Amino acid sequence: MFQQTRTKTITIVLLLAGMALYTGFAGFYGRELIIEAAYLVILAISLDLVAGYGGMISLCHGAIFGIGAYVFAVLTSMYDISPLIALPAAIVAGAIFGLFVGAVTSKTSGIFFIMTTLAFGQMVYVYVFENRALGGDDGLSGVERIDLSWLGLDMGNSMQFAWFSIVLAGLAYVVAAAVLRSGFGRTLVGIRSNEGRMRALGLPVRRYKAVAFAISGALAALAGTIAAQQTMFVSPQMMGWMMSGEALVIVILGGLGTLVGPAVGAVLFVFLQHEVSELTRYWHMIVGIVLILVVVLGNRGAYGQIEHMIMHRRRPVAPAKSSLEAASEQEESHA
Amino acid sequence: MLEARNLHKAFGQVRVTNDVSIAVEKGERRVVLGPNGAGKTTLFNILVGELSPTSGTIRLGGEDVTGHSVEARAKRGLARSYQKNNLFNDLTIRDNLALAIATATGAASRMGDTLRDPAIVERIEEVAARVNLRELLDQPVDSVSYGARRQLEVGLALATNPRVLLMDEPTSGVGPEMIRAFHDLLKSLPRDLTVLIIEHDMDLAFDVADQVTVLNYGEVVFEGTPGDTRESSLVNEIYLGGSVDA
Repeated sequence: MFQQTRTKTITIVLLLAGMALYTGFAGFYGRELIIEAAYLVILAISLDLVAGYGGMISLCHGAIFGIGAYVFAVLTSMYDISPLIALPAAIVAGAIFGLFVGAVTSKTSGIFFIMTTLAFGQMVYVYVFENRALGGDDGLSGVERIDLSWLGLDMGNSMQFAWFSIVLAGLAYVVAAAVLRSGFGRTLVGIRSNEGRMRALGLPVRRYKAVAFAISGALAALAGTIAAQQTMFVSPQMMGWMMSGEALVIVILGGLGTLVGPAVGAVLFVFLQHEVSELTRYWHMIVGIVLILVVVLGNRGAYGQIEHMIMHRRRPVAPAKSSLEAASEQEESHA
Repeated sequence: MLEARNLHKAFGQVRVTNDVSIAVEKGERRVVLGPNGAGKTTLFNILVGELSPTSGTIRLGGEDVTGHSVEARAKRGLARSYQKNNLFNDLTIRDNLALAIATATGAASRMGDTLRDPAIVERIEEVAARVNLRELLDQPVDSVSYGARRQLEVGLALATNPRVLLMDEPTSGVGPEMIRAFHDLLKSLPRDLTVLIIEHDMDLAFDVADQVTVLNYGEVVFEGTPGDTRESSLVNEIYLGGSVDA
């Protein structure tokens, strides 16, 4: 079950505050990295919601991310619609696509679930790639950034846009945590733990899985709108299976099913990518090695490992027995 | 309350359920007896909807539920416990019970925190007390003993506040003290609750049952009161391994 522990609160606050602080020291490039980290934080949180807590390992989150980016881009650049409307529209589009994928895949599990989500994702990718009206493989430029001048903010300023992205990442975390703490979120964990028993208890499991996927889709699309605004450009590359895979790598790197872990993983990933790519062109290989290490060393992820160590400082040794059994055993030993 | 008519189920050539009809009145305690492989668990699986019968009908409270899904039947008050523990192993006992209660009460779809709802917290305590798990509430299932898991198995089914409760060998593999406690639990259940139990412990079976149904090779071979069952030479032959004098 998800619990917003003190460790989680401290970590997420420190992480986001650290990112915000860093924008003050970093140059333009550093701020761009922070913006990238911020939307990857949101994407990773959205994926962890279904994968870590719902047991639904999705390989179409890159596509949902792309749907968010493209809906935002098309509305602002082609139809001149205000980003203030395009942003919620993109989120709704992500939720609808998520609901659809979730409903169709809810009957499958394991490898079949993963493959079906991959197929959905690639269908979207190929559609966008081949569609000249959407710019095809050239993508679309002229994407607008949201206008927050009425709040006294200038989104053209990379530092302020970075803050905006960090605030959205924080909001995404709060939303995901609220969902997971609710009756709905607990039920989601129950489905991951034992889907058959949930059904036997009377739960319409497929509906719950579809709704969880819709919520996750909304968040993934939100991440996409930030990416589209950052470069003011969208291309099919941001929605292929590589993107979905990267999101999954981030989640595992940070700690699947910990919510804060994937956020940490996103920042770690961007940091690794940046630092290591300065040393070698083969930075993917280094990420790969780190990933293998994470999996081999207990499969908890960077944050997950730390959380595990904090929570399990004292472990009970003997299996706990109910009073009745203890009585039974006593009786037997007296007999 | 629960009525099945002419249920058939075959896996290929193997007939596991053969023209089974069973009618259980509201509030009745029905014990299902039969040797291993007699089709008792298969019958339960068909009744709750985990298996669909090849033919036959099932009515719950007068309503035909033959085509209904497992969850739809559960929603109408049909609960079961399993012969093999079927729990949420990575969660605590409290969370296990909370899931069952939240599903039954509709709290599963709400945005509020289940464990902060006083009605649910109270119900968790109540069910836990019933199945003697109060002091283990915060233990994860995978850290508690087999016996405690058996208790939880029944607790989960009870927690949904069912109209009809199907229990598949609730006391399998537990000690005498626990069998006695389970006995007490059965007797403390509300009299309007309909209960079907697959049971191997004869003393318990004959003590709690209003009616006994005996299955053999997928067929109902006997139905009667515990007294009649004890006297039946047929039952003695197939179930108790006694000799036939008749």
